[in-house]
Amino acid sequence: MRLYLRPILSLSVRAIFACFFINKYQADYYRLSLKSAHFEVAIVTKIRNIAIYGKGGIGKSTTSSNISAALSEEGYKVMQIGCDPKSDSTNTLRGGRFVPTVLDKLRSGKRIETNEIVHEGFNGILCVETGGPEPGVGCAGRGIITAIELLKQKKIIEEFSPDIIIYDVLGDVVCGGFAMPIREGVAEQVYTVSSSDFMSLYASNNLFKGIKKYSKSGGALFSGIIGNSINLPINEEIIQDFAANTKSTIAGFVPRSLTVAKAELQGKTTIEADPDSDQAELYRNLARKIISNESRYVPAPLGTDELKAWAESWYDRLLQHNKNQEQQDTEPVKSDLKYYELKPDSAKAKVK
Amino acid sequence: MTSNNSEASVISEPKYPEVMEAPRYSCALGGAISTALGIFGTVPILHSGAGCGQAHLNGQAYGCGENAGGPQGGTSTPCSCLVEEHVIFGGENKLRNLIQSSIELMDGDLYAVISGCVPALTGDDVESVVKEFKEKANIISIKTAGFIGNSYKGYELFFLSTIDQLLKPLPVKKGRINIFGVVPYQHLFWKGDLKVLKGTLQRLGIEANIILREFNGLANLLEIPAAELNVVLSPWNGHEIAKSLQEKFGTSYLTFPGVPVGPKQTSNFLLQLAGRLNIPEEKVQEIIEEEERIAYRFIEYLGDVHILGLPHPYFAVVADSGTAIGVTQFLANEMGYLPETVIITDNPPQEARAEIIHQLSVNIESIFKPDIIFESDSHKIRLKLRDRSFLVLLASSLEKFIAADLGATVHLSVSFPSFDRLILERSYAGFGGGLNLMEDILSKTVAPL
Repeated sequence: MRLYLRPILSLSVRAIFACFFINKYQADYYRLSLKSAHFEVAIVTKIRNIAIYGKGGIGKSTTSSNISAALSEEGYKVMQIGCDPKSDSTNTLRGGRFVPTVLDKLRSGKRIETNEIVHEGFNGILCVETGGPEPGVGCAGRGIITAIELLKQKKIIEEFSPDIIIYDVLGDVVCGGFAMPIREGVAEQVYTVSSSDFMSLYASNNLFKGIKKYSKSGGALFSGIIGNSINLPINEEIIQDFAANTKSTIAGFVPRSLTVAKAELQGKTTIEADPDSDQAELYRNLARKIISNESRYVPAPLGTDELKAWAESWYDRLLQHNKNQEQQDTEPVKSDLKYYELKPDSAKAKVK
Repeated sequence: MTSNNSEASVISEPKYPEVMEAPRYSCALGGAISTALGIFGTVPILHSGAGCGQAHLNGQAYGCGENAGGPQGGTSTPCSCLVEEHVIFGGENKLRNLIQSSIELMDGDLYAVISGCVPALTGDDVESVVKEFKEKANIISIKTAGFIGNSYKGYELFFLSTIDQLLKPLPVKKGRINIFGVVPYQHLFWKGDLKVLKGTLQRLGIEANIILREFNGLANLLEIPAAELNVVLSPWNGHEIAKSLQEKFGTSYLTFPGVPVGPKQTSNFLLQLAGRLNIPEEKVQEIIEEEERIAYRFIEYLGDVHILGLPHPYFAVVADSGTAIGVTQFLANEMGYLPETVIITDNPPQEARAEIIHQLSVNIESIFKPDIIFESDSHKIRLKLRDRSFLVLLASSLEKFIAADLGATVHLSVSFPSFDRLILERSYAGFGGGLNLMEDILSKTVAPL
């Protein structure tokens, strides 16, 4: 009996030691990550899948591309997947050029080679566009489902093994197709880009409904609102109030800036076109916050009537604000960036 | 649902209608294909997945007394066979090419573009594609997303689309009627019943446009507005068609609860019809007398088998409302059979159910009134036939083995689906229809050798 036990005992002792060393090793890495002000590529052990939703034209492609650019500068291997039939998500990463989309290739009926749908952009960012039908024809939602399934089938993600994947998705979540990136097994974290306009917040609220639905079946969870096109303090207040009402958090605010418009006209991200600008730094800060933000939760979307009542509650305040604005019009305009310095601490405090 | 009539006990709705085993109909697209195939000379062009046409052949056509699809149906049906590419990018181009080649390759008087679920969801503009071919051929489009209803709905949609897209006002011909409510490939005896009714009505001087099963199908369709009266042989199906024709062409309509089976129902039908068409009653009575004399003289031949072999048995019916009313009333009112239960399988709308219950209770002359159950689920039908005592089961072929388990019970397929008999021109309609029905029931039990 003892003869049998001895080798087993010695094996288990070895195993315990091994576990100890592995744990210590890992713990060091985590400690590093907590202390480090900058990012450590090595600590990312799993692909970070992030979906960025927002109402059409609200600036989600601009924001996504700048975040991708900022993360690639930090040494991450980033893949940006545009999920919009317009297929212009990655334009500014590719010198303003459209790339052939997954669905274009599928439509051609020919065998699809990986390099035909994954295109390298600024700083080695992998650009993919799902594409879609002509406006008014076919089913764009099904297009997105098919394209994402095709990426899985072709094992594109495994082949390129990016550290971070950013899905840039048309944001009203009008049908199941546009909810594809938040279903189980695609993205884990969702952000929404929104201005303080009611329709934009309405789209965000719809997204919250989608997240709430899929959260029960292992879908993606919410990580924060990115306030975009912020001109005035009141814009920020509106978004903050919306976040408070929907039990959501704010990942950051991005002011409206001419630098962005200029860069886009050149077919570039702000980070590429004007790397030393304040706006580029602002996008870098936002990217850092997003990558260090582990918070994931289910927001509490407002019902249709609640949302309407909430929007009405802002009506009087906006009227008053506009009156004040008219009085101030004669005064010289301040640079918007002066007001908007990122407040990482206050934003962090809100993250659950 | 509870009946107002205390004598009939009616069992309530199924609790889980979203789950159904082997329903007794196909989808709206199935009904529209059936109708197109029933109107000879019509080429159905399916704008759907390839499975829709195949399912029609296997489910609807074979289920209707093992019938094939005919020269334009079955595996010869032109179909756009939509795949994922068409879902995403739209299937209009493929449909355009399909219509073009179908017109070139398939001989037909009328082309019916029947679109299914996929183009309905992706929003293909089928109508504008069809419009491009209006100069080249007689062509109509029928939007029958399968999910909008069952075969009965598809039948109605076919005619409603025809009324909208094809029919023009015509001068009314005296003594001409259209017959609706008999859904081809769904009503098992559509070919035979319509032929018999047309012949019977001819004796009264009524020219019946039965539309289906005749070689001049398109001409029949185009002449629909020329009718003096539209007759609908169903307690609910086809009523929409008659209403639409009344709105558009001012034609009034008469509904009858089903295809009349045997002398009593047929006489009643003729009297009602003659009343509406102002045909002298004496003339009708004369024909009724003549026909009844033949029918009852022949029924005497089965007298001994009836009395010695299967005297006044309890019977159960599982059928669509029209067939159920016709068969139950004939057996109860003319043969002295005792109705145990009637299960209505065609899922009639709520507003039509009171009339169906009335027909199956008040209009049953026997003191035994059947339990009336509205149920389309084959599994629940099986459960509801348990613990009942009947010697004759007139149902679909899905109930064949229920009867076999009961031992002595005679089973005859009279309703959809019937895979266990071949039905070409068999008919239970008209004065002689009851004889045919008795022939089929008693042949199953008459003697072992």
